[in-house]
Amino acid sequence: MMIRVLLAAALAALAAPALAQRLAADLDCKPTKQALVYDCRIALKESGSGKPVSGAEVSVGADMPSMPMAHNVRPAKAAPTKQPGEYAARIELEMHGEWAVKLRVGGPVRDQLILHYEFDEKGAKRAMRGAGHGPHGAKHQ
Amino acid sequence: MDEYTLGVLTNMGLFSFLALSAYLLLVAGEMSFGQQAFFGVGAYAAGIGTAMWGLPLPLAVLFAMAAGAAAAWLVGLPTLRLRGLYFAMATLAAAEMFRILFELFHYQRTIDGALVGPDGTQGFRGIRWVLERGIEQESFLALVWALVGVVLVALAALERTRLGATLRMVGEDPELAAVLGVNVGRVKLAVAAAAGALAALGGALYAHHNTYVEPRNFDIMLGVHGLAYSLIGGLGTALGPLLGVAIDIGLLESTRIFQQYRMIVFGGLVAVLLIFRPRGLLDEVVVNRIAGALRHRRTT
Repeated sequence: MMIRVLLAAALAALAAPALAQRLAADLDCKPTKQALVYDCRIALKESGSGKPVSGAEVSVGADMPSMPMAHNVRPAKAAPTKQPGEYAARIELEMHGEWAVKLRVGGPVRDQLILHYEFDEKGAKRAMRGAGHGPHGAKHQ
Repeated sequence: MDEYTLGVLTNMGLFSFLALSAYLLLVAGEMSFGQQAFFGVGAYAAGIGTAMWGLPLPLAVLFAMAAGAAAAWLVGLPTLRLRGLYFAMATLAAAEMFRILFELFHYQRTIDGALVGPDGTQGFRGIRWVLERGIEQESFLALVWALVGVVLVALAALERTRLGATLRMVGEDPELAAVLGVNVGRVKLAVAAAAGALAALGGALYAHHNTYVEPRNFDIMLGVHGLAYSLIGGLGTALGPLLGVAIDIGLLESTRIFQQYRMIVFGGLVAVLLIFRPRGLLDEVVVNRIAGALRHRRTT
C-alpha cells in the first residue's frame, strides 16, 4: 500500500504540467476588538507587471518562523472586495510577534506566498528580517 | 478534508521525521539537542536540488539525505567522544553553528526572471517543485505519511535484527557492549549518520511543502520539540515519538484546549514525564507488556 502511494505520488509529480504562476502581495492588517484577531486586506498582483489578480481563491494562514509547524493557525478563506485584486480575511493568531503569513492562491492562478509581518496591539507591519520585503512589496515564493 | 486538518496532519508527519531522528540517538544512549541542524541541511540541499539544479524531487531528497548523513557524521566525529550532558551541549552548539552558516550562505541564480536560492538571513525563496507540478495538499500528505510508514517499517525490522539488539545494548550499557566486542564508537557514529539522514528527509519535505525556508526555522526550539516528542512518547518502540507528536501537535495545539498556555503545559508535561517515566509513555516495559498480551491472545 505504502509503495503504491509512493509510486503514484512520484509518477503524478513527474507527469503533471507546471501550473503555478509567480505572484506578489501586500498585506494590511488591523486589530479587531477581539484580542489577537485581525482583519486583513490582501492586494494580490502579478509579480512582473504588478497587474491586480482578481477572481482567485485565497486562503490566509500563519506560522512562526522560529517554531515552524508547531503553531497551526486555522487558515481563513479571503473574500474579494470591490477593489480589483483585493481580498479580505479575518485571522486569529496565538500571540503577538513575528509571523510568516502564508497565502495560498488557487483558482485561475496558483501560487503560495510567505510574507513576514510583525503583529501587535496596533496592527501589523512588515518585519525587518525574512523574505519578501523589498521596496516593491512581498515577492513571490 | 479541510485545509486546517491537512496542514495539522502534514506538520505531524514532518515533525515525526525529526522526532524519529532524536529517538534513534536516544536508543543509542545519546541525547542530541542538534537534530534541527540536519533537518535544515536537508531543507537547503533538497531546495537547491530542485529549484536550482533542476533535479526531480526524489533525487533531490536522496541528495538531501546524503548531505544530512554526511553533516551528522562530521558533527558526530568529535562530539561522540563526549558523554551525557557534554554531548548534549556540543550538539546544541553544533546546531547553532549550522544555523549561523545558513545565515551566511548566499548562492543565488536567476530562474524564469526571478532570483532563486539561499540568500542569508533573507531565506531561501522559490522552492516550487511541488507547487509547479500541481501536487495537491492531499497527495503531499499521503507521500509524507507513506514515507513515515516506510521509516517505521525499517525501524521495526531493525529492532528484530542482531544490529537492533546491539544498538539497544550500546544505549543501555556501552561498557558491557565494548567488553562483548562491539565497536561502540563506530555503532554510535553510524546511528548519528542515519539519524542525520532521517532528519534531512523531513527537512527536504518541509522545504517543498512550505516553498520557503530561512535560518530561523532551524532554531533550537525545533530541536527541543523533536527531542521532547521522543521523550514523551517513549523509547520502547519507534511508535513512541509519533505518540509524542500526536500529543503536542494533534491534541494540545490543534484543539487549542490550553490556548496560549500550551507551551507552559507542554514544558510541564515533559518535566513530569522525565520524573515519573524517564523513558516515556511507551517505554520498554509497556511495549513488552503489550507484545506479551498480544502473543497470549494469539495462542489462546
